[in-house]
Amino acid sequence: MKLSRARTAPLCLILGALALAGCGAASTSSGGSPASGTTAAASASDQILRIPYLADMSVPDPDIFYDIEGNSVILSAYDGLVTYAPGSTTIVPDLATSWTVSPDRLTYTFHLRAGVHFHDGTVMTSQEVERSFQRRLAVNQAPAYMLKPIASMATPNPLTFVVHLKSPVNPFIDYMASSWGPKVIGPDALVTHAGSDHAQTWLSTHDDGTGPYELTTFARGRQYVLTRSPDYWGAQPYFKEVLIKITPDIGTQQLELQNGDVDAIMHSFPASELNSLPSNVHAEEFPSFLRLLLYVNTNKAPFNNPAVRASLRADVNIPQLVAEAYSGTATPSIGAYPEAILPNQPTLPYAPNAKLAAAGAKAASTKNITLAYTADESGVQRRVGELIQADLAQAGWNVTVKEVQLPQVYGYVNNLSSAPDLMLQTNTPDASHPDTWARILFDSTGGLNFLGFKDPTVDSLLNQALSAPPAKATSLYQQVGQDVVASNEIFFLGDVKNVFVLNRDLTGVEQVPAYPWTVTLADLKRTAG
Amino acid sequence: MASLVGRRLVALVAVMFGLVVIVFALQAVIPSDPVRAMVGASASPQIVAQERHKLGYDKPLPERFADYLDRLVHGNLETSLRTRNPVTQDLGTFAPATLELALSAAVLAGVLGVGLGLLLVGGGRAARLLRLVLIGGASVPTFLTALLAILVFYSTLHLLPASGRVSDTLVVPDGPTKLLLVDSLLHGEPNLFWSAFTHLIMPAFTLALLPALAIARTLATSCEQIMREDYVRTARSKGLRERRVLIRHALRNAAGPALTMSGLQFGLLLGGIVVVEQIYAWPGLGLYLDQSIAYSDFPAITGTTLLLGAAYVVVNFTVDLAQAWADPRIRTV
Repeated sequence: MKLSRARTAPLCLILGALALAGCGAASTSSGGSPASGTTAAASASDQILRIPYLADMSVPDPDIFYDIEGNSVILSAYDGLVTYAPGSTTIVPDLATSWTVSPDRLTYTFHLRAGVHFHDGTVMTSQEVERSFQRRLAVNQAPAYMLKPIASMATPNPLTFVVHLKSPVNPFIDYMASSWGPKVIGPDALVTHAGSDHAQTWLSTHDDGTGPYELTTFARGRQYVLTRSPDYWGAQPYFKEVLIKITPDIGTQQLELQNGDVDAIMHSFPASELNSLPSNVHAEEFPSFLRLLLYVNTNKAPFNNPAVRASLRADVNIPQLVAEAYSGTATPSIGAYPEAILPNQPTLPYAPNAKLAAAGAKAASTKNITLAYTADESGVQRRVGELIQADLAQAGWNVTVKEVQLPQVYGYVNNLSSAPDLMLQTNTPDASHPDTWARILFDSTGGLNFLGFKDPTVDSLLNQALSAPPAKATSLYQQVGQDVVASNEIFFLGDVKNVFVLNRDLTGVEQVPAYPWTVTLADLKRTAG
Repeated sequence: MASLVGRRLVALVAVMFGLVVIVFALQAVIPSDPVRAMVGASASPQIVAQERHKLGYDKPLPERFADYLDRLVHGNLETSLRTRNPVTQDLGTFAPATLELALSAAVLAGVLGVGLGLLLVGGGRAARLLRLVLIGGASVPTFLTALLAILVFYSTLHLLPASGRVSDTLVVPDGPTKLLLVDSLLHGEPNLFWSAFTHLIMPAFTLALLPALAIARTLATSCEQIMREDYVRTARSKGLRERRVLIRHALRNAAGPALTMSGLQFGLLLGGIVVVEQIYAWPGLGLYLDQSIAYSDFPAITGTTLLLGAAYVVVNFTVDLAQAWADPRIRTV
């Protein structure tokens, strides 16, 4: 069939228009103020950092946000009073240049940094710090627990902020350094846009912090844009803009990294592929407090029998399991706590022993058990589940492995008899203090105590440790750890590293172990060649 | 025609009511704690209880169901547990991307389906070979098509982008239609149009492929039957060419089954949206739904399900009208 000229003319026009449009797109290189459809900062494309998120963050409001995906946005837009030094648990100044603690450990006096500007242009004073703390308490979402011990606050001068506690709280200064700790928010949010909800609506798409980057676009489901703040009090970041794109498929992220369309993958890169990275990317590993745990359901048979669950110590070859599943990006756990936040813990008494393992399975009232794991994009927890399944099968167990979502896991505690017999979960503490690990995991009301571990002695020791003199508190936390290990209700399998896979030209990666999946974006640089 | 419209409106209400019942029943069956997931692990039991009360999750399920229906009638789909926005607002954010993708895929499926269907009617070796290819193509799952397309057109040939709706350095206009192909033209932004167009190609094609193949096979079978009718023989005897007979005389009468299949395939297309949007990072309802499921965000899940269900009913209603146009006998049924 031959197309007539009358029919081909409109087609040619359309194709011509598309071709012109295509040329236009290819030649876009002008900078200037962003307008609809123009390149925002194309003239310095090497100063744009592109990173993907696997999912949307919940909200960019530091007093509500309590997830992991999104930490880099919060920590780039906001500062707290103190922070952790890179690669350590040492607390260092941030918006407070120094601080003192009274001998009775009830009063914390923070001396604030002068000349700090919010993204709205106003200068930070102690009044904004107090107002930010009050807002966190008023909003009263999950991170508010860090400020509940406060009895009163005072602002004796614009650069001094004083906190009085109801009673000593050992992890208080670590709360201040936590990535979910209180951040200082400016008056544009807290006064101008306060509305009737403490600016919750406004802060769900904006920021008014003092951090190196300002959140200039929050397009849910699509992209967030962080723009370098010209008034930042610290060293100016290398990257003018950070584009965070929501890309929920890790395979797509990998291809885009390989093709140079994104600069880095911050988490969930399949560990098994780290040894075969293309030449234009490289991986950097850092210690973290992410830990792989195996929860045991002791509220029903067979693991309500202490002897049977004790045999689990002999079932799994943990070093082999960790090596196989994580390909070198995790190490077998040493104690009940991350080693860096509680040193000198007794070694965990786990050792594979075929005879003991078989005896345990033989003594069980049922050999049919369920092992649940929470879904993760890298697939590593599924792999761990399958390896444990194989080890347990050798001992005589019949294990069904199933994937579950986190809200289901939170629901188990309401009906433990229908919860799985074993459950794999990777957790991290809120801060570099043993209390922030022990209280959510080992306390009978702990939020990560998914399968109802309950020991009144542990609850009591934890309550004592919270306010005890530091040396005494350390020994109490040690004792709690030993009690939990002895109970065989939670097994500590592996300490997982933060693995960042980056374009070869990206350098300056700084990471804090207590801030999972998060690098300091302001420290990243692109080097030539 | 009026009774047809009336019947479809009743069906719409019934389907939506059924969907709400199913989603609420699922909430009762799935043992999850979305409120705890929302407030986080370190939230005190008091905060969890306070949020549970605020959201009404401490009420018995029938009472919550009644409350939900009451709010639904007033256009309130509750607040998302994950985004903390009203679900209607979130749907307004995510639906345009899905609408643009689904419309493009539907048009593509229709064009491809009719084109391939007509090629199949010709008979001969080429048509038989094409039929084999179509059967093979219909057995490829959508996620595999998506991955293969990315590997070929993005990773190997560098022709098309792998993810997103538009280049990340372009600023997207806020309306008026929120359909980027339309808005870019209305704003006179050829760069944006081109970027949106190239981003749309792979997801739309992936989504359109299976419906197109189903439409093609149905149309071909229907056409082959019609081509054996007496009036077609009469047309041939007048000396008309075979292709003209097919297009002028047979196609309209053969369109009924293909239109019915199109309506059914639209449901399949909506089902594929979750997978396609996830793989291509397309910021639409599928992505929103997927993230909401991981969070047990029931208000968001219910709202999205209702919207997609309503879309399915509306499209099938449109197909009914198209069938009535194609075959006037249907109007009297």
